[in-house]
Amino acid sequence: MKTYDLAVIGAGPGGYHAAIIAAQHGLSVLLAERDALGGTCLNRGCIPTKSFLADTGLLEKATHSPVLTGTDKLKLDLKAMVARKNKVVTTMVTGLSKIMDSHGITVVSGQARLEGPGRIRIGPRLYKAENIILALGSRPAVPGFIPFDGKLIQTTDQALDPASVPSRLGIIGGGVIGLEFAAVFMALGTKVTILEMLPDILYSEDQEVRRTIRLLMARSGVEIRTATKVLEVNRAGETVELIHQNQAGKSMSLTVDRVLVATGRVPVLDGIDPQRLGLEMNGPYVKVDSFLRTNLAGVYAIGDLVGGMMLAHKASAEAEAAVENILGGAKTVDPDLIPRCIWCRPEVAAVGLTEDQARESGRRVRAGRFNLPNSGKAQAMGEIDGFVKIIADRDNGEILGVHMVGEHVTDMIGEVLMAKTMEAAVEDLAGVIMPHPTLSENIKEAALDWSGLAIHALKQS
Amino acid sequence: MAVEVVLPMLGVTVEKGSISEWLKKEGDKVEKGESIFVVEADKVSTEVESPGSGVLAKILVNEGIEVPVLTVVAIITQAGEEIPEDILAKAAPASPVPEAVEVDAVASATPKAEPLSPIPAAPAPVFSSGPTVQSGPVRAVPAARRSAKEKGLDLAFINGTGPDGVITCRDVENAATASRPKASTLAARMAAQQGLDLSVVAGSGIRGRIMRSDVSAFLDPSQSEGPALGQVIPLSNVRQVISRRMSESAFGAPHIYFFAEVDLDPLLAFRKQLVPQVEDAFGIRLSLNDFLIKAVALNLLDFPLLNSRLAPEGVVINPQVNVGLAVAQPEGLIVPAVAETDRIGLVAIAEQRADLVERARSGRLTLPEIERGTFTVSSLAQYDITLFTAILNPPQSGILSVGQTQDKLYLDDQGQVRSKKISVMGLGVDHRIIDGAVAADFLQNLKRKLEAPAFSFSHL
Repeated sequence: MKTYDLAVIGAGPGGYHAAIIAAQHGLSVLLAERDALGGTCLNRGCIPTKSFLADTGLLEKATHSPVLTGTDKLKLDLKAMVARKNKVVTTMVTGLSKIMDSHGITVVSGQARLEGPGRIRIGPRLYKAENIILALGSRPAVPGFIPFDGKLIQTTDQALDPASVPSRLGIIGGGVIGLEFAAVFMALGTKVTILEMLPDILYSEDQEVRRTIRLLMARSGVEIRTATKVLEVNRAGETVELIHQNQAGKSMSLTVDRVLVATGRVPVLDGIDPQRLGLEMNGPYVKVDSFLRTNLAGVYAIGDLVGGMMLAHKASAEAEAAVENILGGAKTVDPDLIPRCIWCRPEVAAVGLTEDQARESGRRVRAGRFNLPNSGKAQAMGEIDGFVKIIADRDNGEILGVHMVGEHVTDMIGEVLMAKTMEAAVEDLAGVIMPHPTLSENIKEAALDWSGLAIHALKQS
Repeated sequence: MAVEVVLPMLGVTVEKGSISEWLKKEGDKVEKGESIFVVEADKVSTEVESPGSGVLAKILVNEGIEVPVLTVVAIITQAGEEIPEDILAKAAPASPVPEAVEVDAVASATPKAEPLSPIPAAPAPVFSSGPTVQSGPVRAVPAARRSAKEKGLDLAFINGTGPDGVITCRDVENAATASRPKASTLAARMAAQQGLDLSVVAGSGIRGRIMRSDVSAFLDPSQSEGPALGQVIPLSNVRQVISRRMSESAFGAPHIYFFAEVDLDPLLAFRKQLVPQVEDAFGIRLSLNDFLIKAVALNLLDFPLLNSRLAPEGVVINPQVNVGLAVAQPEGLIVPAVAETDRIGLVAIAEQRADLVERARSGRLTLPEIERGTFTVSSLAQYDITLFTAILNPPQSGILSVGQTQDKLYLDDQGQVRSKKISVMGLGVDHRIIDGAVAADFLQNLKRKLEAPAFSFSHL
């Protein structure tokens, strides 16, 4: 029987990156996937929602345009929107399949089962591999008290092929995923209410980011109820009643036409029996060391399965590290270099410490900021909501955290990541010649402001 | 007749050095053999003697500027003698810079070095056997020459890519970039804060970029975690040189090894007797190593062939007997040598040895102390190691390895089981020069010396 150098279970952004990188280094690779190549990211997450956001964003922008006329007659063809999304996904999945073929990666369809170190079973067949990477990903959490029906009460997975636009939508969970769906439906004219159990939405983000987003979402008509606990979800005919308790302990009721549950994600362990295998766990997640090694010889785990930030690019970075370690390296992934992007309206992008965390760290820190109304490009685009904030160490200029709100900030955070990865100081960012007129200039301005030298800002007294 | 003063070869581990102090000024009279400047390289500072007598006519490299070894740093002339054009031309650009394209070699390094780029001169490739100073005129376009002068770069070390190898402005720019160690801003700032010269730090980043973790690991090796499994440790300068020399020695000089069990009881008893008296009289405690070093030195007088090196002209028997002692340091092994070990007494050996070891650990050895060794003693007596072999310290031809002191049971004359202290000593020699029988005689003779200490050390 052939022994592969590497077997990867799960073909999401963690698993398929691992497979490709390993193949690039000459390893023979087996990739097992029970569903479609691309995992949650490509089929039920990042990519489909971006397709929706592009379409709904267009509608929203046109509808609110001060110069277009006849926009009151604009309508979005929901069927076409879903069809376009499906086409995008199909294109990407097909492309991925060709890439796998081109690298000579053996892709096996089916539910894989980890039999032990070096052995996996897919269907009736046993496969052997020197190394195994577990990249099974996650699925939406389904709280037991919620009677999901997939139509009126949905997980985010079930919300990706809407046949109609609800007039009232209740979203349970004000995290990254909840806000993204809020942005989609808000643009479609739905009255969206977000119910969040924690004291604030996007609770791990910078305070200023949260305040700004709350304000802007509210202005767009999204109602946000924080510190609110949902007690009951009752279907009543074609509507759903959400019984919830506010901060003061007062019971309230909200009637909506559809409920979307976005209360986080849980790791997928199908085909893995930790107890039988003796696989050490870290709560619901598979336990790994900083080199992504599990306690089983030659078995690595990456991505959502091991917890931390549940982000596609975090999984891909871990895939890269795990493969490098299989090849004899000692690579780790620095969480301070993992960007966080949120596609609400407007977008949020951040990396590193929040301002509060930076100040609490005991270092001498200073924040530089630049507000979008002062940006020529933002004004020209008519998108002036937001800011760029850079927090850096006063003594050596180390960039500790960057927080941005505004259109296209998710495309801009990479510039900061580059600087941070190369250990550039905040003054290095300030010294970059940025093209004009662009939104990238705002990063430079914030970096300049850190030294009190922003150009398009009033002189500081 | 004018004499060029060059930055001396500072030993095999060193390719560049800087003059930390000029002991003479321009115009001062100097005598041959008189110290004229102090050079600093790596962890060693050395006074350099004048190669000739006369007047220090011109200083070409000022204090604090790092230049490759063999760079002409000054010119000595006879009283009243003009500095000959050809020497000056070869050594430094005339000032103001002539507009001729045909220029001659070396732009003098300017004294004011930028604080963030402490190495203005473009060094030769760091691990070549030595810098290749081009002889003859170097051709450069005038603007390139000006630019090189401003940047304190030496045209002789810049490759010309213009027609017929003429040095262009771009070549100078490239050389300027190449000479600066590439480091991240945060790494550079950390180094500047700690007063660390980045050129000694090995970079672990992409294409050797020096990252912050490299600087912090260099500053405090104890703080950085030990090597992790699978980790790749970039080679420091010192380690690169050690690895090259070890390979040269191991594969260039065929080693043969001999082992002998030395009965230590007599020596230990002899030492026990001597230690309090010597300590009382001279204030220094004799270690077992001091006796070993002395015994080896005496043995080398009996077998001068083991105090030699192989040179193109033949087997050179070194005129002095300087026994080196291997000292382990975090950065790598260093072997300072006790000078004239055969001539001086045990007390003087102990004093030198204590001083050398202490300065080796704090990185304050001078170059002659490292280079003068003619034979090496490497001791692992403190370890639980029975015996071991060692690689010759080139260009030496013999090395003694000393294993642990251990108890051994034996039958005495009456057939009683007794115990004695022994050590297994190994001798490694360069078989190109030394035959097996000679090496065996050497080791046997050394064993006899150590086992009869009263006699061995009595004629001193």
